[in-house]
Amino acid sequence: MQHLANVTELRGRVQEAAIEVDGLSHVYAGADGGVAALVDIALAVGKGRFVVIVGPSGCGKTSLLMMLAGLRPPSQGTIACLGRPIPKPDPQRVGVIFQEASLFPWLSTLDNIEFPLSLRGVPRGERRRRSEAMLSLVGLEGFGERYPHELSGGMKQRVSIARGLVQDPPLLLMDEPFAALDEQTRMTMGHELLRIWSTTQKTVVFITHSLTEAVYLADEVLVMSARPGRIIDHIQVTLPRPRSYEMMATEQFGQLRERIWQQIRKAP
Amino acid sequence: MTRAQIIITRLALLVLVLGAWELLPRLGVVNALLLPPLSQVLTTLVDLLGRASVQEAVAVTALEVIVAFVIAVPLGAAAGIVIAENEYLSEIFKPILFYVFSIPKSIFLPMFILVFGIGFQQKVAYAAFTTGFVVLMSATAAVESVRPDHILVARSYGATQTQILWRVYVPSMLPFLLETLRISMIFNFTGVMIAEMYASRTGIGHLIANWGENFQMPQLFAGVIVLSAVAIIFNEGVRALEARCSTWRT
Amino acid sequence: MSRPAPATVRWMLLALLLILWEVVPLTGLLPELFLPALSKTLAVLYSDRQIYFAALLVTLYEVACSMLIACGLGILVGALVGGTALLRDLLLPVFSSLYAVPIVILYPIFTAWFGVGSSSKIAFAGIYGFFPVMLSTAAGIRTIDPQFLLAARSMGANLAQQITRVIIPASVPTVFAGLRLGGALTIIGVVVSEMLTASAGIGYLVTLNRTILDSPRVFAGILAILVLSIAYYMLARALENRMVVWQSAGRPQRSTSGVSTVALPAPAAA
Repeated sequence: MQHLANVTELRGRVQEAAIEVDGLSHVYAGADGGVAALVDIALAVGKGRFVVIVGPSGCGKTSLLMMLAGLRPPSQGTIACLGRPIPKPDPQRVGVIFQEASLFPWLSTLDNIEFPLSLRGVPRGERRRRSEAMLSLVGLEGFGERYPHELSGGMKQRVSIARGLVQDPPLLLMDEPFAALDEQTRMTMGHELLRIWSTTQKTVVFITHSLTEAVYLADEVLVMSARPGRIIDHIQVTLPRPRSYEMMATEQFGQLRERIWQQIRKAP
Repeated sequence: MTRAQIIITRLALLVLVLGAWELLPRLGVVNALLLPPLSQVLTTLVDLLGRASVQEAVAVTALEVIVAFVIAVPLGAAAGIVIAENEYLSEIFKPILFYVFSIPKSIFLPMFILVFGIGFQQKVAYAAFTTGFVVLMSATAAVESVRPDHILVARSYGATQTQILWRVYVPSMLPFLLETLRISMIFNFTGVMIAEMYASRTGIGHLIANWGENFQMPQLFAGVIVLSAVAIIFNEGVRALEARCSTWRT
Repeated sequence: MSRPAPATVRWMLLALLLILWEVVPLTGLLPELFLPALSKTLAVLYSDRQIYFAALLVTLYEVACSMLIACGLGILVGALVGGTALLRDLLLPVFSSLYAVPIVILYPIFTAWFGVGSSSKIAFAGIYGFFPVMLSTAAGIRTIDPQFLLAARSMGANLAQQITRVIIPASVPTVFAGLRLGGALTIIGVVVSEMLTASAGIGYLVTLNRTILDSPRVFAGILAILVLSIAYYMLARALENRMVVWQSAGRPQRSTSGVSTVALPAPAAA
């Protein structure tokens, strides 16, 4: 349970970092001096790893993700994704999935998935090929011509994931993507996500509130404190892969959950 | 922008507009016969307000507005509440209301004139007619705005029908009711104006139409300013009241 | 016995109305002066059809021109004011305050400036329709889910792409609502102004016939206008429904003053 202030020490442990963050702090400007959202964040995420960030509401996890995605520059500190900084969104390097699927209601499922490609002017035939491949990957074959208002919440999120994956970015950031879904759908989607991850071997940073989801999905769990957010713990989840629902009943699973919970409760 | 900046910018814009109104006709950029300078309009305004004939016209219009309102509101509200409370009636009549609102109700003015002549009653009847529909629509919306879960909670605590009416419906609907009154008055005023301008020998609307026909532009603009000012002041006054009563409304 | 469907009841009411329109005057319950029989009204409409048709063309022409102003300007200005925080905070409250003024009192100014012909009607009806369309569009623009823009940004869309690929498609329902509203209001504005001072058009015909107490012709004009406005409403609604299958493109509307201009189907003050 060490405080992680030393990135070189981290680098020693992590081969081939996909993401490196050093000395990152962020203050939101405000009328009276501003609000410190993040303080002195340092982390390194190895290639192909599934890292989950948990923390109480308002601890800055979403802000951190926005910075990793290039959607917002930090007040201080450096971020490197695959060795390069990320001053603005780069969907071919970093795919982002939000809590709200935000599918464009005027486009069909396939058109939604292709959207990032069409922004870059990729020719139609190629776009269709890639989007249909993604559609199969997320298990929605045959739903290509449907419109978002015809899809369930879980299906919409799958489309959102397909859209994030269509440019094959090595890095995937996910901000509580299953939070709006009911528990059963969440479990199914979590399982699906792991399947997609092991097939595509991407690096994933996943934010969640759910301790169960965290332990179930992660290789490593980063625990953040309440605002201003710091990383207060770094937990390795050594459960075997592929993960199964039965593991949730094991003692090891329970202990990991308990440890996370203790950390969150203790945090000042 | 801060509140202060907004107010200052708006005042600046107002000054700009008023300044243009004064200067453009005076400088000959705009024909002063068509758009008299603001100062001339204002002096005419003061003069007009002192005249007995104008004061009479104001009194007539005011009376028409009030009487039409007093007739339209209870009738419209009652009808609106009845429709809102009864689901079957709702389904029948609400689509009709949409059609009603697309129709230029002024087209019925000749009917009212044929029946009532061109006097006081015709104008009041017409204005009440047009206003009634607005009141009805708003009353329906107001009743429907009361959340069923609030009613459910009240009932589960044993509230009687009367208690539910006064302790849930009325407070819930109060901001809507004020807004209804405000909007209905706008329509009411408009209805009276149209009737007076169309076929009448009394009232401010008639005066304005007359001034227009006779190219008495300073008087015309003076009348428009006074009426606009009255309308805006009333509107803002009720709005302020609404805001006070509805701090809880999102 | 089960109750008839609401739609059926409406048709029944319409039928009842038409029957009463025919029977009541004929039986002398109401003088023919007040309410000429439906058959008489239709008869003069048919016999004078050339006159009415010509008048209708004038009216339609004025409506079309004023729609250009009301909808064209209204939607553009509304989108601008609603979409820009600065303009919105500055101007929107001003515009909604001005909405309280009965625009009809401005009409004599227009006749003095533009004469008795079509221009004054077009100017008046254009302004008459402008404010509600502008307010409605400004409110509608704000219902576009900001998450859409966030998603588009994260997918690498630049500003131009955000506008053309996200904001414009998402605004389609609002624009169509504005067109429907604007059309209804300009019809009303044109009819009112034609009735007040005109030399042509259906409104003018109605007034003309009223002064000579020719009730059947007055009601023929009324009927023509009723059919016109209802037909427009049905057309606009049908078009809107076809174009916008996915109605709820954003969050539920939160208008600044509750029920007011946005919720009312078409604030027909006339």
